[in-house]
This record gives sequence, structure tokens and C-alpha cells, in this order.
Amino acid sequence: MLAKVDSAFSRGGLFAGMLLLSMMSPAAADVSLTEASGRSLMEAVYERHRQYPYVYEEHSMVLIDRVGNRETRKANVYFRVEEDLRQRLLLLFESPEDVRGVAVLAERLADGETRQAIYLPALGENMIQNSGEAGEASFLGTDFTVENITGEQLEDYNYRRQRDVLINGKMYCVVDVYPLEDSRSDIPLRRHFVSQDNLYITRTDYYDDLGRVRKRQSHHDLTQVLGDMWRANMMLMENLATDHQTLIKIDRRVFSQDYVPADYFTAEYLFANGRAHHPLVDEPDELAEAELTGGAAQ
Amino acid sequence: MMTAMYLLGARYRLAVMSGIALITLFTSIGLFKLEIDTSFDSLIPSDDPARIVYQRVMGEFGSDNKTIIYVEDEALWSTEKLTALEQLHTELKKIPNIHRVDSLFSLRSIRGQLLDGKPSVKAQAVLENIPQTPPEVSAAKLRALGNPLYVGNLFSENGKVTAMIVTVEDNEDEKNFDAQVYADIEALLEIHNQDFERLFQVGPPRVNAELKTSLVQDFAILGPLAAGVLIASILFFMRSGLAAIVPVVTSVLTTIWTFGMLGWAGIPLNILSAMIPPLIIVIGSTEDTHIMAAYFRGLANKDEDPKFKGSDIQHRAIAYLATHTGLPLILTVLTTALGFAANLFSSIGLIQDFAVASTFAIVANGVITVLVVPFLLAQFGPKTVTTEEERSKIYKNNLPDRIIQTFRISQDKFPIYTLAFTGIMCAFFTYQASHLYVTNDPLSYFPDDRPLVQETQQIHKELAGIRVFFIALESESDKAFLEPTNLQKLEQIQNFLEKQEVFDNSLSLADHLKYVNREIQGEFAQLSLPKSRQMVAQYLLFFHRSELENYVSHDYRRANIVVRHNISDSNTLNVYVEELAEAVQQIAGPDFEANIIGENLMVNQAAEDLMVSQVKALGLLLAIIFILMSIMFTSLKGGAIAMVPSLIPIMLMFGIMGSLNIPLNPGTAMVAVIAVGIAIDGTIHLLARYNELCRSTSDYQGAVNEAVKEVATPLIVSSIALALGFGILLFSNFTVVAQFGALAAATMLISIFANLLITPIIMARIRLVGLYQIISMQVDEAVLDQSPLFKGMTRYQRRKAILISELHDFKPGEKLVEQGTIGRSMYMILSGEANVVRRDGEVERILAELPPGQIIGEVGYIQPIERTADVTATTPVSALRFDYERMQKDLKFFPNIVAQLNFNISAILGGRLADVLSEQKS
Repeated sequence: MLAKVDSAFSRGGLFAGMLLLSMMSPAAADVSLTEASGRSLMEAVYERHRQYPYVYEEHSMVLIDRVGNRETRKANVYFRVEEDLRQRLLLLFESPEDVRGVAVLAERLADGETRQAIYLPALGENMIQNSGEAGEASFLGTDFTVENITGEQLEDYNYRRQRDVLINGKMYCVVDVYPLEDSRSDIPLRRHFVSQDNLYITRTDYYDDLGRVRKRQSHHDLTQVLGDMWRANMMLMENLATDHQTLIKIDRRVFSQDYVPADYFTAEYLFANGRAHHPLVDEPDELAEAELTGGAAQ
Repeated sequence: MMTAMYLLGARYRLAVMSGIALITLFTSIGLFKLEIDTSFDSLIPSDDPARIVYQRVMGEFGSDNKTIIYVEDEALWSTEKLTALEQLHTELKKIPNIHRVDSLFSLRSIRGQLLDGKPSVKAQAVLENIPQTPPEVSAAKLRALGNPLYVGNLFSENGKVTAMIVTVEDNEDEKNFDAQVYADIEALLEIHNQDFERLFQVGPPRVNAELKTSLVQDFAILGPLAAGVLIASILFFMRSGLAAIVPVVTSVLTTIWTFGMLGWAGIPLNILSAMIPPLIIVIGSTEDTHIMAAYFRGLANKDEDPKFKGSDIQHRAIAYLATHTGLPLILTVLTTALGFAANLFSSIGLIQDFAVASTFAIVANGVITVLVVPFLLAQFGPKTVTTEEERSKIYKNNLPDRIIQTFRISQDKFPIYTLAFTGIMCAFFTYQASHLYVTNDPLSYFPDDRPLVQETQQIHKELAGIRVFFIALESESDKAFLEPTNLQKLEQIQNFLEKQEVFDNSLSLADHLKYVNREIQGEFAQLSLPKSRQMVAQYLLFFHRSELENYVSHDYRRANIVVRHNISDSNTLNVYVEELAEAVQQIAGPDFEANIIGENLMVNQAAEDLMVSQVKALGLLLAIIFILMSIMFTSLKGGAIAMVPSLIPIMLMFGIMGSLNIPLNPGTAMVAVIAVGIAIDGTIHLLARYNELCRSTSDYQGAVNEAVKEVATPLIVSSIALALGFGILLFSNFTVVAQFGALAAATMLISIFANLLITPIIMARIRLVGLYQIISMQVDEAVLDQSPLFKGMTRYQRRKAILISELHDFKPGEKLVEQGTIGRSMYMILSGEANVVRRDGEVERILAELPPGQIIGEVGYIQPIERTADVTATTPVSALRFDYERMQKDLKFFPNIVAQLNFNISAILGGRLADVLSEQKS
């Protein structure tokens, strides 16, 4: 059903995690913060926050324009990793009413190939393949671009460790990301700020080709979800060029296979169920135990 | 009082000059605070309600303040040119205060296609990387030109032209940041000029920068040029170095005071302010010319004022000029200042600021003239009595005489035809004035051959005009513009815009949706709107909010159609916008509030305000002048006649504008009021002199001729000097200023014709009495109280009656009446004494000694009979002469006064008859 896609859709902790699985290097699990190079530090980050294979999240997306007007959308995100290491993601809009049922279906194959399709209920039973290139294209009207949300393949970039910084009383490791091909440039593509407390990337500054920060992504309301693994319950992308912001709030997060059945990730399912769908409106109590909302906010 | 003021500068030189120096120093400091304002904001009326809507719309949909970089090249779509273009794009972004650059390299395209037989949509940058091969280049070109949202806005249809839209961030902390941005972009374009066939920028920073540069150039050139012309013309006509220097000194001081005041008051310079230095020079010099002429006459005057007996010759000459120019100076300063002040009625900031500056300048020039000129004369003026021969050199030029002689032929031989011809001419030009149109477009301030204007036209030709306005629709219903029916309204309005065929293009939310619909649904959808609300909402997910913010509000209650055009004629634009407004209202229906708004539109709509304020200002000025003149000449007719020389030039001026297609704009709109204010000066001088002359003759035509002869030279000299001065403005960088200068110069020349040809013809047919004459008259009221001639008359009526009569002075031994002659004049002795002497052959018998107040010759006044005795002055006698013929003429001008005089004469004669009868009885 899904045709070849140029980029994968993922979102926040969940989406980034989708990539982590394919990038992790076991050797990078233990690292000395003071001595670690940029690359090894990033590997440690990815190792620490590896993705759980079955995740269900309920998102509120708040789009804020330059004068502070807000537009809120709600979406459910389903994620699962199949046995063949294929990662599958479904983003299903719940509201506003007019976009309810709009879905983005994406998958990343084990070899890194990604596919993506969009379902617009208003157009009938048609999956529209999304062949938008990764880069500056924004994601469904938000300030996140495909590139922002798919995360990075560590082997595609050079990482340079910078001097650690103290922000609001906390120490952060700073890692600049450079393209592999153009290592001569002094201007990084982006700069990650990794919290030394939990090795979580809490902030990323995106630079333009003149070295100006054009966008800033920050993660808030961090929650320790499993072991050393942390997740952000709130992600903010500030587009400094347009004065727009997009805030994604995770209203609910469940790590459970039952919440993300495999048949959800098909066009047939979307067509058959028409518009937006909540899988477990009357969910059994025992499933609620798996919910991991709130927690140790950072 | 005027004399005392004039003498201040001469008597208390140190004190007065110290005061002047202090004020000049103080105002000089203000010069450093002066700011230049070339913003379009000052062209919009402050009370325009559209301004609030505009600010709201701008706040919501984004600013229209953008600079367009125009790039044209035959091989634009080639790797080489695109590489250069990308480099330019990157370097543009480096310029401080540039917020955003929209170009090929930042635009996004949504392309629908079939992939493996299935519908696919691809959202991508139009040009993410430079295409390296011809097929890649073709694909990129196809992407760009396939987007109907960009064609006509950012790409020409033929693909040879592209535009880069630069958004400049307002930086309030940095003065002149926009000028810096313009300069930085210009420097960059200079470097890249060789890369493309044509490369230039047009936008508010450039317009502002060019306005400022031109303004500074105008300041640097026009003032000195005007001063040069003034000096040359004064030297030519007056042959006096001092007379040429005096106006320069007063003008320089006035300029410092005026611009210093503007600096202190925080009133910025604008393009009209550039006119002030030459205006000060030309207008101020006219009074200086009159004063200098009066000073020279004062030096030659042998009749010494008793009050200044013993004073030195310069003081006496200054006193003389004060007596003879004091009142006209006040009046002319007042009327000229009123002419400029009348522009305060305009709600356009540009004109208001100019009105304040120019009014202050005129008043300041009056004060400086009164204080400084006497000082200069006392200090540097000639100290010897000028001989008649030398005095005649003052106006030694044949031109005024020739003009007067030419006019005299018409006045003497064809007065009625001349008036009739003038009337027809005025009617013709008034008809021509009906073709007048108004414009207030900032770009029209520049001449058509200026690169900025031509390049603006080029953008219009290849892409779309740079002028923008918005059609904003607002609904009460939430998410109204997700409804296809409402989107259809946008589409219908755009269809109407197309039918009007005057606007270049328009863009709206409907266009964006039609575009996505076509790309997703395929060509069968053409460019049609989505059919359902859900489809609309779901298509909108393909756009980032910033891509739509110019077209729809965040809550979809308000939508905005962006219209680009190239209409600079306000009248045309306003007509089409009015037509559009009706259609928009009709299409939108009662559920929507519709506004057509834009800075450019408000500026152009202010043209209507310009017209209204112009009419108001002109009407008010004419009314004030009419009232002033009526009071001055104690007659409504006097007021009306004084208006003639002002009305003819402005009728002709508006006619010329209509005939030559010169629009009414912020510059030309002011000509009428300023011209009236200046032209009335000559009329005041003419009428005042005519009145004075009428006091000593009953030959009105003779008085007119004499008055014209005396006033003509300074009037012609000053009018020509003014015309030359205004003509200097033709060298301005601004069309509006040049047009103002040309029209004002023409008006000044026409005012010579009106003042010296038409006014005298009318003037000879009237008789006026000046209020100032009545007030300043020195008479023994006791004499008048006792005189039966003035019985039953108020003091004002008596004085007026005296002024209607002729005043004659007789030396001892001179005869007021001669026995045996037939005369129709009657005399009343105001001062001195005379004897009534009857001659019988060699024997002379004194019949009576006449004291002041006595009436002589009243019988002859009524009936032409032979005088029965001589009346001879025994002391210097001042007597009023009442001539029968003249009084009959004056009856129609002053019916009440003359009727009362005739009644009193009847009473006197009745008394005499009663005395005779009584004598006969006894």
C-alpha cells in the first residue's frame, strides 16, 4: 500500500526513538562525560533513551502565531516495532472536527528506507503518498520540519563536542552537528544541549547558513519512564524567522502492545473505520497500569 | 507704534541686535534636533478611520513593507545564473535588519503526481540545491512556473524574470536603518550587476532613501539658487548693493529661526519643507524691496516730520518708511501668513507641518524685517540725501513702464472689452479647471524619467505593480472561511477584479486551496475550489501557518485578498476602488464586514481630503481677505474689488492645471492659497495709494493712473522676483515641488496683469475710504462739532464725509474762491482763516472773516452761478472741497453720507435764504 517515501515521520520522544533503534551502538552505553567525544556522547544519549517497541501517545499540538493566536489540534500517535525491526507509526488526528480522521502512516524498514502516506478522509478512500523531501518542508503546518522530527542518523554527521555550559543551575554537554561532506564549515547545522543529569537532549538550536539561530527546539516536563529512559511531555519549537511556535504536549503515554495493534497501521483499517478512532475508549483497568504520564518533571 | 517699532533697530542697535543674536543662537541649537520625515504615513490624514482598520489588518496579516529585488536574464534558468542568484540570496540574508528573503531558494512547492499509478503529493522547496544538469534545471523551472501562486508575483511567465522579496525588520533603536539597508542592498547589487542582464531594487527603503537624498539636494541647491536670482533681480531693477544684501540677511535669519523652531518643536522636515528657504527669500524680499524703496524716498523727502526734527537723516528716512510702509507691511504679512496658515486645515500631516513651518517663517520674517532692516539701514545705509536724479535710478528700468503703457491702452480705449475678455477668459479657464484631477501617490513626486519610476514600471510590466492593497472580509462566524461558499465569495471578488482590468493580480486563500486541489486531485480539478469544508480544512494541513498568515486569520473568521497594481493616479484608483467596494459589499453580503485597505490606498484616498481641505482653505482665506478688505476700505464693494486680482490668477491657474493635465497634489494644492496671500499684497498697496491720491483730486481716473504708476514698478519688480524665485523650484528633484514652483510663478505673473490691468479699470469706477485714514485723521473735533455741514452725523460719519471730499491746503493770499468765476465746489475751512472780499473795480471790501468750520460757496455748489466775492486765505488754510459732480458720483458709493451732507447743505442754504428774507423785511 505504501509507496516509497523519502522521509519518515516521527515525533518528539516517540519519533526520535523510532530512529534510535537503528542507530544504537551497544559500546556507547557507558561513557565518561568529561572525556567523551561528540560522537560517543551522542551514542550514549541514544543508548540511554532507547525506544520502547509499543507506544501509544495522545498529543495536543498548539500552533502559536507571531501575535500569540493559538490553534490547537489533537492527535493520537501509535508506534510499534515489528519483529523484522520494521518501525511503524500512525498519527491520527482527533480534532478539530474538520481534520478528524486525517492520518499519516509511516514506516522505516530495517535497512533505513522510509515510506509515508497521508489519508485525507475528505477525499475518500485514497492514500496519498507523501514524497516530500526531508529538509525545510514543515510538517502538517507545524514549525517542525520533517528533518527536525526524524532525528539524525549518527553515521550521517560529524559531531564536535563543545565546552560544557551551565544553564539555570544545570550543567549541559554541548555537541555541534556538522554535515559529513562539508566539514570545513565553521557553522554547525545544529547544536544539542545534553543534560548531564540524564543525558537527555533538552534543547537543540538550528542554525542557518549564516550561523544565526533560526529555530530552537526545547523539551520540557521530562519524565523518567523506564529505568534510565526519559521522555519529554512537552516539546516546543520556536521558529525565530517567522515568530511562530509549535508546542506539542503529550497528554497521555502508554507503553503497551495492546494499544497499538498491527492492523491499525494499514490503509484498510483507516478506510474501514472512517474518521478518527480511539482504540480503547473503554479501556480495561489493567491497561491503565501501563500509563506513564506525569512523573519526574525536569 | 509702527514707527516706534521700526526705530527700535535704529535707536537701540546693541540691545536689538543682541536679542536677535540670542534668538538666532537658541534656534541654531534647534537645527541639530531637526529630523527628516519621508514616510508615507505623513501623507495619510491623521483622522482617517481607515487607518485603524489598516493597522488592525497589518497586525493580523503582516506588513506590506517589502523590497523587491528584480532579476532579469535571458538565461536565468541555468546553473550559472542560479548559482549567482543563490549567492545573492545568501548575501542578502547577511545584511543587518533584513528579516527575511523570499526567493526561489526559500519558496515551497506542492506537486501532485502519479507514482506507481497512485496519487502522490510532494511538498518541497522550489529550489533546494542548484540543479547541475539541464534536465534538473528544467524540472526546477517547471516547479516554479507551475505554481500559480508565484507566477506574476515572483516569476514572470516567460521565466526570464524573478523577484526576491526582502522583508526589512523595523529597528526603532537604529536611526535611518532603512537607509542603511537600502545602501547595503545597493552595494550588493552593484557587485552582482555583472551576473545578470538587469538587477535592481524597489521598495520603501529605496523610496525613502531617494526622498531623503533628493530633499537634502533640494535644500542645498534651491535656497542658494533662489538667493542668487533674488540678488540678481534686485540689482537689475534697483541698482543698489544694500538693497540686494538686506533681503539675504533677513532670509538667512528667518531660515535659521524657522528650522530651529522646527527642531525644537519636533516637527520634521518633509519634501515640502524644501520649498521654505526659497519661499522665505522670495516672499521676504518683496517687503524688503518696498521698505528699501521707501527708505530711499525718505532720504530724498524734504518735508520733515516735526516729530523727528533734529534727528539725523537716517532716522528721518526710517521714520518715513515706517509711516509709509508700516500698515501695508502688517497687512501683507498678515495676509501672506494667512495664506500659508490656511493649509493647517488639511488633515494630511505633510501639509500641516509645512503650514506650521511656512506660517512661522512669514511671521518671523516680518519681525526680523522690522527689527533688522532699520538697523542695517542705520548702520550701513547711505547717509546723504539722495537726489531726485539718483532716486530715479532706483527703479531705472523700462520694463514696468512698458507694461503700464501697454495696459493703459486697454484701460483707456477698451475698458469694457477688456473686462469682457477677462470674464470670458476666466469662464474658459474655469471650464478647463473642471478637468482637474487629484493625485497623492508618493511615486508621482518623482519625475517620470527617474530610474526609480522607470524600474517600478518595469516590475509592473514583467511581474505586477509594487503598489498593494487588501480586501479584508470579516465574519461573525467562527471558521467562516473554511466554508466553500465563503471561499467562493473570495473567488467572485477576484473575478470582479479581473473584469475591472486595471489591477495586476490578486492572491487569496482561495488561490492556495485551488492550487492544492489541483495538485492533489489532478488536472481534472483545474483550479477549482474544494467542495467541502472538511476538504478545505484538510488541504490547509499542507501549509505552514506563516504561508497563510497574509491571507487568513488564525481563527478563519477573517480573510484577506492581496491586490497588486500600478495605478498612480489617485482619481482613477479611487474610482475603481469605489466600484470595487460596491461589488465587494454586494458579493460579501450582510454577514460580512468588508474593508478595502492599504497604505497606498489611504495615501491616494487622502487626495480627496486634499481637494476638500484645499477648497476649505481657499474659501476661508478669501472670506478673511474679503472681510479684512471690506473693513479696511469701509465698504463691501471695496472688499469685493480687492478680491478681483486674487481670483483671476487662481481661476487661470486651475484652468492651466486642467488644460496641461497637471494634477492637484500636495504641492500644487497649496499654490492657490499662497498665491492669494501674496497677490493681495500688491492690491493692498494699489488701493491704499489710490485712496491717498483721491484725497486731493476729483479726477478718479487720474488718481488711478497715478497710483498705478507709483505702485506698478515695485509691484512688477516684486512679482517678477517672486516668479523667478518660485521658478527656481523647477530645479527641485520632486515633481510636486517643481509643479508648485511653475504654477506659483505663473500665478505671480498673472497677478501683474490682474493688478495693473483689471483692478485699475474697476478701481476708477469706485471710490473707497480707508479705515486707517478715518482712524488716523487729525482734525479739530470742536470745529466739526460746530459746523452745520456735519450736523446730525456721528463722528465716524463726519470723518468718512471728510475723506470723501478733497483736502486742499492754501497759503496766505491764495484764493479758495475767485469772484466772477463759475464753480460748482463748496469749501469748509478745517483750519486757518480766510476773508471774504468783494471787489468793485479797484475797491476791495472785506465782507467777512471766516474762522474754521465756515462753509464757502454753497450756492455755487447747488446752482452754477457766478461767484460774488473772493475768498482769500489770511493764514495757512486747510479746507475740504466738496465738488458737485464728484458728490453726485459718490452718492452711489456712499449714499447715506452724501444724502446727509446734501440735507445739511439744504439746511444751510435754507438758513441763508431765511436770513436774506429777514434782512429784506427789516
